[in-house]
Amino acid sequence: MAKIEFRHVVKRFGAVDVIPDMNLVIDDGEFVALLGPSGCGKSTSLFMLAGIYLPSGGELLFDGRVVNEVEARDRNVGIVFQSYALYPHMSVRDNILFPLRFKKTPRDEALARVKAVAELVRVEELLDRRPGELSGGQQQRVALARALVKEPELLLLDEPLSNLDASLRLSMRTEIKSLHAQLGVTTLLVTHDQIEATTMADRIICMRAGRIEQVGTPDDLYLRPSSLFVAGFIGSPPINLIAGDAEGGMVAVNGARFPVEGASGRLTVGLRPEHLRFADTGFPGRIAQIEPMGREILYVVETGMGAVRVLEQGSSAGHSTGEEVKVSFLPENSLVFETERQKLIAGAHVRAPD
Amino acid sequence: MVAPATADWDALAARARLVRRSKAAVLYAFLIAVSLPIILPYFWLVTIAFSARTGVAETAVLWRSMGVVVPAVIAFWLTAALAQSRRQLWTGITAVAVIASLAFALLVGPDLHLGNFIFLWEPDFASVVRSRVGEVRGAVQFPNVWHAFANSILIAGAQTAIVVTVASLAAYYLSRFHFPGRSAMLRSLLVLHAFPVLTLIVPMFLMLYWIGLLDTLFGVILVLVAFELPFAIFIMKGFFDAVPWDIEMSALTDGASRRQAFVSVVLPQVRNGILAIAVFTFIRGWEEYIFVFTFLIRNSNWTMSLYMYWVRDDVMGVDYGVVSAVGVFYLVPSLILYMAAQRYLMQMSIGGVKG
Ligand SMILES: Nc1ncnc2c1ncn2[C@@H]1O[C@H](COP(=O)(O)OP(=O)(O)O)[C@@H](O)[C@H]1O
Ligand SMILES: [Mg+2]
Repeated sequence: MAKIEFRHVVKRFGAVDVIPDMNLVIDDGEFVALLGPSGCGKSTSLFMLAGIYLPSGGELLFDGRVVNEVEARDRNVGIVFQSYALYPHMSVRDNILFPLRFKKTPRDEALARVKAVAELVRVEELLDRRPGELSGGQQQRVALARALVKEPELLLLDEPLSNLDASLRLSMRTEIKSLHAQLGVTTLLVTHDQIEATTMADRIICMRAGRIEQVGTPDDLYLRPSSLFVAGFIGSPPINLIAGDAEGGMVAVNGARFPVEGASGRLTVGLRPEHLRFADTGFPGRIAQIEPMGREILYVVETGMGAVRVLEQGSSAGHSTGEEVKVSFLPENSLVFETERQKLIAGAHVRAPD
Repeated sequence: MVAPATADWDALAARARLVRRSKAAVLYAFLIAVSLPIILPYFWLVTIAFSARTGVAETAVLWRSMGVVVPAVIAFWLTAALAQSRRQLWTGITAVAVIASLAFALLVGPDLHLGNFIFLWEPDFASVVRSRVGEVRGAVQFPNVWHAFANSILIAGAQTAIVVTVASLAAYYLSRFHFPGRSAMLRSLLVLHAFPVLTLIVPMFLMLYWIGLLDTLFGVILVLVAFELPFAIFIMKGFFDAVPWDIEMSALTDGASRRQAFVSVVLPQVRNGILAIAVFTFIRGWEEYIFVFTFLIRNSNWTMSLYMYWVRDDVMGVDYGVVSAVGVFYLVPSLILYMAAQRYLMQMSIGGVKG
């Protein structure tokens, strides 16, 4: 197992700084998710860890040793590629055996380890098949087995669930998490899906255009996003972001005016849909749309400050389209950002009008 | 829609059926029309090789065998087109085959013999053949046909081995690594292949003479390799491009060196490409005529194509049965190779030739 450290790591492709300056510590045995939109440099960071890309600058450390120039094959890193990258011409058994081939593991021991790891990820019945004959979920398991069979110090998962259908994704999520609990291997999960990151990881690194926006527990990122980007990226249905101007303790958004504490100037107010509720006081509005989501119902309400999403528990709608309502929330559940710098203003709150 | 709609639909379906059938009929007629001119020369070659006799310009056998084969081919196609079920198809085909074989045995069978393949066991067959018509002097001194055969195998085989090895490595490099001049190189690969070989034959003759490889098999092999490489590299690059990077990267993180990853993970993915260029290169070397004719002089260096040429030159007027027999003998290896590799060659168009 290893502790991983990025120190001012830079990665350039030609003239483009894909990763301008990355600093990060991942503790031994941690399960960390690297979360960010497509093209933000997640896979690039992962490939530098695996030794596939050479960093253009800075230092990459495993357990305090610089590994920048250590070759991929000497790093003992297990990686599951987005495409699984199984070897199509080999049986599943040979696929899982492949990493042991180069370690000169005795044949008997190698086969025993293949068997053990195949049982762990439940592919022992598939050992004689070819990858082409497997379903997506099975290929995924085989790829995991191949990454785990060499008992890696670091397990890298590049969007491992993105090619699976919804129900399979749900069960693999649980399975990968319990595998990590069982093996305790330091794991880095790359994903663009915030639900995957928040459900699986102990800690989330949220990236944007090659830079780390925020590092924290899923709760930190959800409840105390440090920037507008993180607030908007995490949460589904997404947070309501409302831009306005504050002066003398009052924010003006379109036609609506309501009190603000601890901030002034150009602000953006962030309100999670589930923190909004219908009440006797608050923003007057009219329900424009109703979206039942199973256990919750999403209302789109037209108010003086624009359309807001309100999420209500329950499976049957208590309101109907066109109904006049008032929307309220608790001040402590509101987030206030500086519109200019896109940063959270700590301790600032807004209040619904009476 | 009103009531008569159903009646209309029946009429429409009948018309669609008619159109489909007549399209199929036109297609088959077209296929027969274009394939006959391709098949006929080969058919004649084989028939003459097995039936002609020294000094006799007999064409009756040809017409009789044609009289059996052409109706048989048409009957096969008709059976295939008209059969309504698998069972009908197989019964039809069997019936046609039986009738055709019987007719062939009766009409052509008595005329068949192996005498024209005399060159296989009689190196001085030219004198023997000439002596049958009383014209003995002036025969070309032929080497043993198996010697020419071995030379051809050697040239085609060595050329294939070199082209496959060099093209695979070069194409892999072109596919995976970026270096200055890469796209210029790719473009020039195609341009190189566009040169008519005849334009280069004089300079190459001189070059081979200067480096002392004139009239050696090795010299010809080098020239052939030079001409075949660009296109082979181009084809192989398409195959390598289709192999995902991930697999290779995965092999590297699994502990393989770059070379081990290439051999154990990448090469198996392009196996069909390698087979395809191997077959084409081999057949190209096997049929090679212009270079061997120009650069090889001694008769111990003759290849099958030169042997064929001299046989035609020497005994054509006397015995074209022997000429045809040599032709059939020359044809068989490439035919076998094509048939064995057919499955992989078909995949060339699927494996995709991408720039
Ligand atoms: N080998 C490469 N050469 C040039 N640009 C690359 C290469 N790999 C990735 N990039 C660029 O780097 C950026 C980040 O890519 P990547 O790390 O794959 O993003 P993602 O977060 O979706 O995994 C993208 O803009 C991509 O175009
Ligand atoms: Mg990616």
